[in-house]
Amino acid sequence: MPTTATERPSHAQPRVEMADIRKRYGVLDVLRGVNLRVAPGEVIGLVGDNGAGKSTLMKMLAGAVTPDSGKILVDGVELTGAGPREARAHGIEMVYQDLALCNDLDVAANLFLGREIHHRWTRRLDHKRMHAEAAQDLSTLHIRISDTYQEVGNLSGGQRQAVAIARAVTFDPKVLVLDEPTAALAAKEVEMVLQLIRDVSARGVSVVLITHRLQDLFEVCDRFVVLYEGVLHRELQPSETDLSELVTAMMGK
Amino acid sequence: MTTSTTAPAPAASRNRSTGALSAFVGKHFGVISISVVLIVLFAFFSVQTENFLSADNLVNVARQVAPTVIVAMAMTFVITTGQIDLSVGSVVGLSAAALGLWAATGNPVLALLLTVALGLVIGLVNGALAAYGLLQSFIVTLAALTAVRGIALLVTGGYSEPIDSTLIRPLAHGKLLGLYTPTWIAIAFVLLAWYVFSQTKFGRYVTAVGSNAESLRRSGVDIRRIQMAVLGLAGGAAAVAGILTAARLSSGSPNSGTMFELEVITAVVLGGTSLMGGRGSVIGSAIGAVTLGVISNGLVQLRVDVYWVPIVQGLILVVAILLNTKLFSRIARTRK
Repeated sequence: MPTTATERPSHAQPRVEMADIRKRYGVLDVLRGVNLRVAPGEVIGLVGDNGAGKSTLMKMLAGAVTPDSGKILVDGVELTGAGPREARAHGIEMVYQDLALCNDLDVAANLFLGREIHHRWTRRLDHKRMHAEAAQDLSTLHIRISDTYQEVGNLSGGQRQAVAIARAVTFDPKVLVLDEPTAALAAKEVEMVLQLIRDVSARGVSVVLITHRLQDLFEVCDRFVVLYEGVLHRELQPSETDLSELVTAMMGK
Repeated sequence: MTTSTTAPAPAASRNRSTGALSAFVGKHFGVISISVVLIVLFAFFSVQTENFLSADNLVNVARQVAPTVIVAMAMTFVITTGQIDLSVGSVVGLSAAALGLWAATGNPVLALLLTVALGLVIGLVNGALAAYGLLQSFIVTLAALTAVRGIALLVTGGYSEPIDSTLIRPLAHGKLLGLYTPTWIAIAFVLLAWYVFSQTKFGRYVTAVGSNAESLRRSGVDIRRIQMAVLGLAGGAAAVAGILTAARLSSGSPNSGTMFELEVITAVVLGGTSLMGGRGSVIGSAIGAVTLGVISNGLVQLRVDVYWVPIVQGLILVVAILLNTKLFSRIARTRK
């Protein structure tokens, strides 16, 4: 099946457009000209075997990795490759597989990292307000962490993942990229994350979900994008496909 | 604290208070353990010697430890970012020498300002090489340790420069409310360092750089600026220590501050700051520096051979770290 067959009528303006993205690490061609469009509120399942380039592609969107060539547009505005700050300013938030949290800081400090609230004159951090808002944010997202003064290093894997996701969501992003968000979670916590994805996409936030738990994809995704050896191999509609076809596509067939 | 009126509020607030307690013990076990060590040593020397507890002696100890306390404040920032500064002792030597040379030209105020600026510049060069040159701070400051001492010896020809300025002398010998000026300067450094370290964005980023630099970078913070700034602060603090040392001796010796870097690093580690970065305490470092001063003073009062001082300091370091990692951390963990 040619990839063009699954293209839907294009929106006037995609939320994200990545065009002809290429990246090479030494002799390794990680990405060989990938095109990806994401519509507002769309949930995309980005799948592929290990080393297919999923994480690299998404790190580029989040500004953590610079492509060798290619264009990234958010709401029609091209990113200049100025790094994570620029990507964040355009509403891109990514939760990394390796949990971008500081284990020595407490929950509230992690939620507010990079955007701390402080008094203008004394430069003093407003600890009280940050803890109060952190507790509020967590309860809005139905995340059960009783104490925002706990150091993140003392939390369980699931709690840490929840904090990382909460951190991304509280930036009020246009696009939320989740790299293996459910890998370390208990069954109950997985359902919580999936519900979180449905909630944010209903608000118009686009979500790109990278996961090896393929069954999760069928629960929340509007579209599957399959990468194989650095190229966009297939696009599939969840309603028109099943698990075995998806696995076949991931193997490059 | 405002609590919501929903049912689970009491449970949540109870959780918070026990959580806050365990978090407090967890965060401060380094400070607690070095405080215990200091109290024990203090009690021991008070009982075993006639002179240790006298007001004169304590005022003296408070003056002697001032340079170490001052530099230990900046070193806490450096080590918490996961870096190290081995050059502070040499910067003390060059600052003392430079102050002597510049004060001789007749403008002591300008000489003082230039000396502090010199320390800052050396620290910032270290920082630039480490943060932007992507060299390990250990290598950069090891090179500076050698080179800066060499410069100090070169510009003075190896001789001390006498300082007879009536403006510089009081920096070491002046007294206010019974304490010498260096003690007051050290207290000011501790208060300022505590505020910046625990109450400001900069301090939080210092911890975050050492804890997970990549996380902070992805949050849009320029981590290289933080890494460079803390080494600049260490250079500036070392210059202040050099000034106090020169003022006390009324001469600027290029040999001042030999092995000083090791004393400062020992004080910081004693105070519970992790050499791996991400965990530091300026109060712990101050207590660590005082502990080292109390050991050397107390042993002199005991009239034991002066060569025992470094041996006991080394032993105390091991004991404090063992207390720190084995005992108090376990208490903090079980409290959770």
